[in-house]
Amino acid sequence: MSTAQLIQGNEACVKGALAAGCSFYGGYPITPSSEIAEQMVRLLPKRGGVFIQMEDEIASLASVIGASLAGSKAMTATSGPGFSLMQEHIGYATMTEVPCVIVNVMRGGPSTGLPTSPSQGDVMQARWGTHGDHPAIVLAPASVGEVFDLTVKAFNLSERFRTPVILLYDEIIGHTRESVVLPDSVDITNRTHPDVAPEDFWPKEAPPAGVPPMPGFGDGYRFHVTGLTHDHRGFPTNDGDIAEALITRLHQKIETNLDEISEVETYMLDDAEIAIFAYGIVGRSAREAVIRAREAGIKAGLIRPLTIWPFPTAEVAAAAQQVDTMIVAEMNLGQLIGEVERAAAGATEIVSYLRVDGEPITPTVLLDLMMPGTGASS
Amino acid sequence: MASMIVADALVRAGHDVKQSEVHGMAQRGGSVFSHIRWGSDVDSPLVPAGSAEVLAAFEWAEAIRWVEYVRDGGAVVADIRTIIPPGACTDRRSWATRYPDIDAGLFDGRHIKTRLIDASSTATELGNVRAANSVILGSVAAFLDIDDVHWEAAIASLVPRGTVEINIAAFRAGRTVSDAEVPQQVPDPDGFPGPHQIEIRHEWCKGCDICSRFCPEFCLEVDIDGKLVVVNADACTGCRLCELLCPDFAITIRPPLEPAIAAGPTDATGSST
Amino acid sequence: MTDVKTYLREWAMPHVLCPGCAHGIVLRSFLESVDQLQLDRNKVAMVAGIGCSSRLVGYVDFCTLHGTHGRAPAFATGLKLARPELNVVVVTGDGDGLAIGGNHLIHAARRNIDMTVLMLNNSIYGMTGGQAAPTTPEGSVASTTPQGNTEPNFDACKLLIGAGASHVVRVLAANPLEMTKVMADAMTHPGFSFIEIISDCPEYFGRYNKVGGGAEMLSWMAVRDEGITIPLANKSFVKHVPSSAPPSGMKTGVLHREVRPVYAGVRGEQ
Repeated sequence: MSTAQLIQGNEACVKGALAAGCSFYGGYPITPSSEIAEQMVRLLPKRGGVFIQMEDEIASLASVIGASLAGSKAMTATSGPGFSLMQEHIGYATMTEVPCVIVNVMRGGPSTGLPTSPSQGDVMQARWGTHGDHPAIVLAPASVGEVFDLTVKAFNLSERFRTPVILLYDEIIGHTRESVVLPDSVDITNRTHPDVAPEDFWPKEAPPAGVPPMPGFGDGYRFHVTGLTHDHRGFPTNDGDIAEALITRLHQKIETNLDEISEVETYMLDDAEIAIFAYGIVGRSAREAVIRAREAGIKAGLIRPLTIWPFPTAEVAAAAQQVDTMIVAEMNLGQLIGEVERAAAGATEIVSYLRVDGEPITPTVLLDLMMPGTGASS
Repeated sequence: MASMIVADALVRAGHDVKQSEVHGMAQRGGSVFSHIRWGSDVDSPLVPAGSAEVLAAFEWAEAIRWVEYVRDGGAVVADIRTIIPPGACTDRRSWATRYPDIDAGLFDGRHIKTRLIDASSTATELGNVRAANSVILGSVAAFLDIDDVHWEAAIASLVPRGTVEINIAAFRAGRTVSDAEVPQQVPDPDGFPGPHQIEIRHEWCKGCDICSRFCPEFCLEVDIDGKLVVVNADACTGCRLCELLCPDFAITIRPPLEPAIAAGPTDATGSST
Repeated sequence: MTDVKTYLREWAMPHVLCPGCAHGIVLRSFLESVDQLQLDRNKVAMVAGIGCSSRLVGYVDFCTLHGTHGRAPAFATGLKLARPELNVVVVTGDGDGLAIGGNHLIHAARRNIDMTVLMLNNSIYGMTGGQAAPTTPEGSVASTTPQGNTEPNFDACKLLIGAGASHVVRVLAANPLEMTKVMADAMTHPGFSFIEIISDCPEYFGRYNKVGGGAEMLSWMAVRDEGITIPLANKSFVKHVPSSAPPSGMKTGVLHREVRPVYAGVRGEQ
């Protein structure tokens, strides 16, 4: 068992990536994610990996995809403005089914916004930022330890499903130092290699919700990779049936495996009459608020998705059936609340607490919402 | 342009008109088409399948592509010119293309009036091949009940300045033009022996003319149908310029004694027949 | 000598490019150079962006990546760093490489990543229908410059020399033997090699500017080239072409060559 260490969220991300087998990092400096690159350049080469600082975020993700195609586990990290530039290649990686991990340490937006302040403003961009119909896997850790765990999970899911996975946390988690005990080893998933001879191999041959095996460039399998809609040979086509089958498969390989992807934490929810829905850093304040509310005799509970996309519709719907009120707290002007309302389908009253002033949401304000008129926040 | 003239003529004739247009990469096998609907009150610009009065196909394959839109008793006016997109170019020499043969009887099974015209020739005879589309419009007009005054006013207002006269003449010629003779498509006899063997992979050749223009010995020619033929195999010195400059990998030059590779749909001029 | 057609994905042929487009000649010359060097085709990776030239990689039996518009040098950088034994060749066009992808191209050159970039310059955007590119000569007609282009154009080779490319060559698509030679040279050069290939676009540039089809455009280039070092099969091949074609003002041949450290990313001792 390892001993406790005091590390930043961004450092935990690097350690998680290395534990998961990351061997390539391509990135571009941006606050508040730069510590990830600064740690990577020190640690990755010692593990036999390669680091490069690219000319911009577009190129960063392109280099990551190139490295992944060569057989590496590869990642990049950025924040809002750089995440905007990466959307082109998030779509490309989704379409070409190239595994990669993208970390977005969220800061205030839009545009350059509040570079040093936390935010949860990129939740919808992480889901819908790139064009076209596409699936998304987005993980939202709430603590330094969870950054480690979910970075490992991000790599594993991206390898398992051949799709980009986004790790979404905010400036506070990125920069907070916490004492954590990291595991000596973690479970690792690797992409499946083809079991047929090169002459019998087609790069996109897969059953309807399946994930095709993936050799690396240079492994002896010669194949074509394109962002154009393509057939099982990986070759461009305009055939509508093939296009629909491809796009449908890209979605179904995710949607039919939610048990492997989806992770939702509940806390004191079993007998709760009032629940807080929160994710990321807000989830921690919410947990504290629940504890204090319980101390005051209120039957409060927490539902906190660690996987925010695909959205845990079933879990939220079940919670909504049970509680009288659900408080949705986000550090944006309301992004996941729409999904909560859709899942709840009117089964419970939904109250929101939203802020975009660059300040965190405190347990006190949430407690105040649960205990109106008690002056809990004063 | 042509569909705008039709639409304009219909407007001038007092109809409510809606026109839709789609542009694609026709030379890469895509489609460029326009629907025109008219009447006292038109809501949608799209013509449902099986209800078009007239189909004007400016190229033969388009006639086949769109004929399902023509109503019983309607008409197809088709130019017999063929534009073979690269994707359909399988073999110009033997005409074993995926491009459909021109066949005047193809629509016989349906109650459709068919007019196959050679608009380019008609326009050339009148003095300008670029007026070919007006010839097609003239043929279309023969199937529609719109006064020529409106047609000619539409043409005059829409064609480039200086070409009004020729386009109106082409339109009038198109009104009365009769069915064109469908050209016979006869495969060339296989070639003749030569010092070097010139193999042409016709299903890849796009008839671009580069090889024939650069051949120092004038061995090759692209004929009037766009297919590459060896016209002087005896003169081939094996310099390989044609092979090296062929953008489509369609030519292979082999030494006289090397046996031609039998695999694949190539034909070697050096082989005996 | 192998028939270069064996390097093609024959099932994907014929290719999508227009009749008379010289890009196919460039591809053929490239395959000849791969054959000359006897490269293991499992270790050849071709990376392309978007556009007519970039479509070429779909037809060759190597590891091929048809990426996003302009980003090929960035994909290729990741590929090369992660798998140094690959022979990485980027195929790009003038719009892809110099407009939307200009940044990636100059930075790959600056780093001296060990790759070869083939930039097929046809002076126009062909795939999208003939719009003006950063290479469209002043005065030339494109669909977005109907009155003639009024913007100055790039000299790609000067740009790349300035950016630090360690091997810079310009060659004409009309000169296939020379192309094969410079491509083989470039692939054996340690570091970043840039080859600008003057290609043609008969479908748009040729038509809009009334300079003829593929044969005419190639002939025109052939007589303009002062840098031909390999006569085309020792033939006077331009007998159909008037000798009054305008001078090019554009030098061909090896324009710059140096040997300097190759960048391979920050990596541990191997």
